[in-house]
Amino acid sequence: MELLYTKVGTHEIEISTESKDFKDFIQRNFSIFRGKTSDPDLKIIIKKGFGKPFVNYQVEVSKHEEKINFQRSDYLIETGSDYRYSVIYAHNEFALKHAITNLYSSFIVYHNWGLLIHSSCALENRKAHIFSGQSGAGKSTAAKLSAPRELLSDEATILKIDDGKVTVFDSPFRSEFQATGTNKSAPLASIQLLHQALHNNRTNLKKSDALIQLLDKVFYWAHSPEETKQVIKLLNKLVETVPVYDLHFQKNNRFWELIS
Amino acid sequence: MARYVQKSSYETTHLDNEWIILNTEEYTVTTLNDVGGFCWSLLKEEQTSESLTQAVGREYQATEVSEREIEEFLSHLMECGLVKYAV
Repeated sequence: MELLYTKVGTHEIEISTESKDFKDFIQRNFSIFRGKTSDPDLKIIIKKGFGKPFVNYQVEVSKHEEKINFQRSDYLIETGSDYRYSVIYAHNEFALKHAITNLYSSFIVYHNWGLLIHSSCALENRKAHIFSGQSGAGKSTAAKLSAPRELLSDEATILKIDDGKVTVFDSPFRSEFQATGTNKSAPLASIQLLHQALHNNRTNLKKSDALIQLLDKVFYWAHSPEETKQVIKLLNKLVETVPVYDLHFQKNNRFWELIS
Repeated sequence: MARYVQKSSYETTHLDNEWIILNTEEYTVTTLNDVGGFCWSLLKEEQTSESLTQAVGREYQATEVSEREIEEFLSHLMECGLVKYAV
């Protein structure tokens, strides 16, 4: 079986699958590099044929000894407790995309590396700016209106969170805009929580409000108090390092005047 | 006099002058101001409304807090599932 090698964030991933469709999907959505990686951070075996088409986002998490299972109607992830070795069973490409997002998010939280945030992210003068908000608030609208600025994500933004420094990496977890495959990264300069309005206005949020507002924007499937604490600690570092704003915006690109 | 104590261990975050208490079992969040957060930190050990009132008086000399206000605060924490009666 041919192995595929890709990189997400700073992590090298080895993927193997016998399914031609899934192999095509990985090659379309992830930047594939040739040659073997001697010691990948994640090894994933992907198998086709599980469950039924998407019903809802409900993921059941179960833990037994050193194994964790994440199960949705259309995918099953069997992984080790450090998320390095996993088998994904997926019904179709949609299920596979969500399963890999789930797995990668769990991996980076567990290793205290960072978070995956439900948002779009655009570059301006080599700095990254995030647009997040409730469903329908305008994340993808903000992404579209940001053209010709380069996008690092339009759905799930990858954040590496260190003390005093947050870095955004090019995300392969996209909805409408294909990744450029450049593996770019940039320092995060601001986070905007979006509200569609008749005027453009940006106000700074208190750090405590920012943390609470961001809690449900993290891709995370709570299954242990320790990992929930880890998410809070990472969010704490994030709001200590990067300003978070409420952005009321009209559907045009003039909101960038408030940002850059 | 009723004695109160934190129900179990929580993740507590202190940001500027606000405290965020996360119940990691139920996934609920409660925010407290600085005085509330000070009381919360003392509730790791058993406290009465009287002992908390005295402690707040010592810590925040300029802040007048009555025992009745502390009792109300404690009953709010009970409602939020953050403290219980100590037995």
